[in-house]
Amino acid sequence: MTVSYNWLQTYFKSPLPSPEKVAEILTMHSFEVESVEKKGTDYILNIDVLPDRAGDCLSHWGISKELSVLLDKKMVIPAVKLKKGKTSIPLSIKVEDKDCKRYTSMVLTNVKIGPSPKWLQDRLTVCGLNSINNVVDATNFIMLETGQPLHAFDYEKINDGIVIRKARKGEKIVTLSEKEYVLDEKVLLIADSKKPLALAGIKGGKGCEITEKTKTIILESANFNHKLISQTARRLNLRTDASIRFENNLDPNLTEVALERVVSLIQELSGAEIASIVIDSYKDKLKPWTIKLNVENVNNLIGIDIPKVEMVKILTKLGFTITGSGNILNVKVPTSRQDVVIPENLIEEIGRVYGYDKVPAILPPFSEPAIMNKEMYWQNKAKDIMKELGFAEAYNYSFVGEEEKVVFDLKGEELVNPVSNYYKYLRPTAIPQMARIVKENSKFFKEIKVFELGRIFDYQKEIMVLSGAILGEDFSLIKGYLNILFDKLGVEKVSYSPLTKSERWNSKKTAEIKVSGKSVGYLGSLSSNLMDVLMIEDSLFFEIDFDELQKHCSDKREYEQISYHPPALRDISGVVFEDLEIEEIVEAIENSSNELLKSVEVFDVYKGKGIASDKKSVSFHLIYQSEQKTLDSKTIDSMVSDLLNKLKQTINWEERK
Amino acid sequence: MDFSELKNNAEKELEKIVDSKELKEFSDKYLGKKGEIRKFFSFVKDLALEEKKVLGKEINEFASLLEEKVSEIEKEMRKAEREKKEEGEKIDIAAPEKIIETGHLHPMTQMLREVENIFELMGFSIVEGPEIEDEWHNFDALNIPEGHPARDALSLGKTFYLKNGGLLRTQTSSAQVRYMKKMKPPIRIVVLGRVYRYETTDASHEINFYQAEGLYVAENASVANLKAVLQKFLELFFKRKVEIRLRPSYFPFTEPSFEIDMLCTVCNGKGCSACKRTGWVEILGAGMVHPNVIKNGGLDPKKYKGFAFGIGLDRPTMMKHKINDIRLFHSGNLKFLKQF
Repeated sequence: MTVSYNWLQTYFKSPLPSPEKVAEILTMHSFEVESVEKKGTDYILNIDVLPDRAGDCLSHWGISKELSVLLDKKMVIPAVKLKKGKTSIPLSIKVEDKDCKRYTSMVLTNVKIGPSPKWLQDRLTVCGLNSINNVVDATNFIMLETGQPLHAFDYEKINDGIVIRKARKGEKIVTLSEKEYVLDEKVLLIADSKKPLALAGIKGGKGCEITEKTKTIILESANFNHKLISQTARRLNLRTDASIRFENNLDPNLTEVALERVVSLIQELSGAEIASIVIDSYKDKLKPWTIKLNVENVNNLIGIDIPKVEMVKILTKLGFTITGSGNILNVKVPTSRQDVVIPENLIEEIGRVYGYDKVPAILPPFSEPAIMNKEMYWQNKAKDIMKELGFAEAYNYSFVGEEEKVVFDLKGEELVNPVSNYYKYLRPTAIPQMARIVKENSKFFKEIKVFELGRIFDYQKEIMVLSGAILGEDFSLIKGYLNILFDKLGVEKVSYSPLTKSERWNSKKTAEIKVSGKSVGYLGSLSSNLMDVLMIEDSLFFEIDFDELQKHCSDKREYEQISYHPPALRDISGVVFEDLEIEEIVEAIENSSNELLKSVEVFDVYKGKGIASDKKSVSFHLIYQSEQKTLDSKTIDSMVSDLLNKLKQTINWEERK
Repeated sequence: MDFSELKNNAEKELEKIVDSKELKEFSDKYLGKKGEIRKFFSFVKDLALEEKKVLGKEINEFASLLEEKVSEIEKEMRKAEREKKEEGEKIDIAAPEKIIETGHLHPMTQMLREVENIFELMGFSIVEGPEIEDEWHNFDALNIPEGHPARDALSLGKTFYLKNGGLLRTQTSSAQVRYMKKMKPPIRIVVLGRVYRYETTDASHEINFYQAEGLYVAENASVANLKAVLQKFLELFFKRKVEIRLRPSYFPFTEPSFEIDMLCTVCNGKGCSACKRTGWVEILGAGMVHPNVIKNGGLDPKKYKGFAFGIGLDRPTMMKHKINDIRLFHSGNLKFLKQF
């Protein structure tokens, strides 16, 4: 809120400290003063009044009250002078909706509309408002003074009095700023018998405004359900000086005070006469309430020792009434402080006025060591391994757009209110984003190795996945990377099986990754269709369900005896049925050998000429080694021939010479 | 065979050796496993004991002499070779280095780890929560009931809603109540992770960003504790002494609430452009946990008190590396990622 320093001064007999000093005091005890600017002979304080105090502090009175407490200076409020007129003009007010908590109004006649005097124009200009005419300026001035929004209607343009009711669906209003709004039943209206006059608590309508010809006016000083005003203003995207004040529990007991202030001012400015009594519709009068406050609790929560007398003094200055004895204070809360409902609210009042700078810094006692977060431990480890492997970590949005949805045929959760078409769905996979990264970076980089460890969404289920991409077509390379990852994470029993059918992946160039037989992800090339649509360089992708993988991660690693005896290499080649997977052959070899077989590695797979159509030829390097002795060729040969015999029986291995 | 002949031949041959290849051949010929000297030994084996002793000793001495000479020649040859190689050789130390590709961790990962480490040192367990939340955990549990202006400000305009119900968390504090229900006081946790706000994106606004939210609940938690914990955190984070101040603020989930300012590290409080001439930089929001939140966490607010604090991590990361556009974080641009 924009506050005039000179205006604040009018409520104090003795001079205020400098504007900068006032700003500092307010910042440390009430609200942040974002800036102090000199404007003519005045200073503007830009005060960020906190939302819970908007009810009593979005005004020069509110800020002055704060200063009066903080500076220990008496605040003087100008007296109100009301002159009764001779004529009496009838006005009917019907409050038909309980979201209007109070409606206070008065009729003034013989109003001479004209420009405002310079002092008033200056006050408004400094606060960023335009001067319109004496009546409108007076309502704005009193709003800035008291915090109570006020409105003036031209009496002659109103048919049969005022009704406060909800709008009808489709009902329209054109506001003073010439904008039309189509309303629904949730909007509270000030209306007459024929048309809406104003959006209650938000903005006046066209057609009943004050003009040069206006003679008789109705002044409105009302109070509305703050929740309703807050929601309506936001729904209509029309937040005004009035709505901002109404959306935060304004004191309903303020309406009359403000009305008298504005009437008094308008009389002074335009010679108007009062033509009615104060017409007041106020069913449930808000009365002060009491909170029990334990003095000890105040000091325990703040962690300091404030004497009880000091607490009482602070609260009293703030307008609270204290009774009770001993450690329990009965604190009566004025209706202007609807934000104060629990003892903690009072503790805050005491704390801030007393000064948080006086609170010592005391570390809490040591209790328990932190608990290691297993998930994050493995995530961090996986990230480090990927980094070791030379991958760059990317972060992608949690969203994908319409285009990705269509191209990749994605299914998943849709947002009700996306920012744009690019961020319309929760991503069910990170592959489209990885493809984009490859595409955009391949213009500048010959080598791309990128990964992300982040959440994807299967509708509303969150899954942590490790996704990545490399440029090029070297399947064995990316498989090598992943095998190092699995090995370093302590994941055992990893196998790769061919893909039968997939829309997303190229089934001939993609493997399904399994751990202990359970699928955890994919590794390979995107389908030819996708590659044609995406127009990206040849590249390989992977996506692994990290939640699943993590279940198999382990820090256990056993030292393997280093042998000082030479290893012996033997190659075997044979023909097997085509559908027998390499992993299965390796397993068969391992099962048919003893512990001297240290490694099995496939080095050739061949199909075609010379091989039956349902068969394939496979070749393996076998490494034998003993920790105890150098193996002689006789021993090795007999082990190999024994192995081949067993393979013949278990997997129909036909040896090729 | 005559030993002196062998000796003579060896000595003569040794003198003629010119390069390392010949030296190797010589060494194999005389000193190898099947070399001349070994051979001679097998011949010696059959001699009479006394003779064997004398000759054996002589051969052994000769063998070590040969080995010594071979090794000496080898040394000299290596020296000569190196000298020849180094002749006229000089490295241009100003020549460009070879580009070596390494891996990179995202700057936000590095920031998250830093924050994790500091809080773990201070006994705070690091936890994550779901990114898809229900309205209750995101708002009501945090004392932001329906109709609350803060709720309206967040829910009407800043919150992403999902077609099948639920929303994307607008702050990591939505996990607070979940953990309060699971754990026994004293509770010390920090919830880290990605949060979502509806924003029109530009250089300083994003729809995905990152927060750390701390929570301490115990029987005697106080503002004094909050002050000390945050001061220590900031000192460890900025790796220097820091001065902080607490200003009144407002959050629905804490009461009292504070804005924590840190004395500007650029100008030491004198006022500069970094601190908008105030001498102080707003660094995080904090407060004493509102009794309603403690209650929603299944604890008795009369018995248990707590403090909570939240810090956005995008801005400190940007400040640390002088990153001028927040959108780079999610750009996937390797020119950006490879700098970290």
